[in-house]
Amino acid sequence: MAMSASDAQQRVETYLGRLRVRLRGINDLDVREIVEELRFHILDKAGVSGEVTAAGVDAALAALGSPEELASEYLTDSLLARAEVSRSPVQILESLFHWASLSVAGFFVLLGSILGYFFGVVFVLCALVKPFHPQTAGLWVFRDSTGSLVTSLRLGFGSPPVGGRDVLGWWIVPIGLVVGCGLLMLTTRFALWCARVYRRSHVLHRV
Amino acid sequence: MKGADGWDQATGDKWEVQLRKGCLELAILAALWSGKLYGLEILRRLESDSDLIVSEGTVYPLLSRLKALGLVRSEWIESDAGHPRKYYALTPAGKHRALDMAGTWTRFSSSMSKLLAPLEKGK
Repeated sequence: MAMSASDAQQRVETYLGRLRVRLRGINDLDVREIVEELRFHILDKAGVSGEVTAAGVDAALAALGSPEELASEYLTDSLLARAEVSRSPVQILESLFHWASLSVAGFFVLLGSILGYFFGVVFVLCALVKPFHPQTAGLWVFRDSTGSLVTSLRLGFGSPPVGGRDVLGWWIVPIGLVVGCGLLMLTTRFALWCARVYRRSHVLHRV
Repeated sequence: MKGADGWDQATGDKWEVQLRKGCLELAILAALWSGKLYGLEILRRLESDSDLIVSEGTVYPLLSRLKALGLVRSEWIESDAGHPRKYYALTPAGKHRALDMAGTWTRFSSSMSKLLAPLEKGK
């Protein structure tokens, strides 16, 4: 069945509009190129027999997958490509935020990465502030008001916990740096590994 | 369903898909070896020359990644269809990577062929 040019155009624009929204996290210039390339790809496929048909447009859109799936693939590929150039946790977290908005897998990877980076940063900070707050910064063990044993990493603000013990003392400096940097590196590797596995399983599913 | 020898069809299919997926990047670089192509031409080339039937939703993000890695470059060229098309071509780094991967592939498949020769005779 032949469809009017405006119907075909509207269907394509709706699809591309949904994709554009979900490509946040990739720079504007690249998003424009992606959208234009796919627009012309759809027109080429749908009009292969000389006339753009409803079935042709639907088949072309179905072959591309849903805008969410397609955006997920662009985002994970972009994350992996950027990681080859820079392993900055800020860039990785930025990409993960966008991936998390598109898939459950991305959400859990983001959650794990936030935890990993958070503890990594806290360990490093604790090591760095120890020389400035030697009496209070460190890994403390104390009993809270209910009598339960609590372990806490303190950056040296406020007074030391009553009856508490600074378990590592000055050892927090080398241990904090090693554990903190290790956690930051492991978290980055974890995020990239997840992106690779996701990408691989997705390609596996679609080849 | 598993056969008497413990091998099931699904496992076999999955293995074949994994094998195809593993060489997708090489296949795209190889398709671009003889000159620039746009996305749909790459898909058709893969389909006709390599038996690799790949979905558009897989190839375009992969092309984007290869571009970000500096292995391919792209340019928009006007076409007779009334709209421009984005053509991809190998960069020098892309050619180097394609040759490296092709070398590895050839060595691997040649050693596998030797190993598989008795199986071919036994068919």
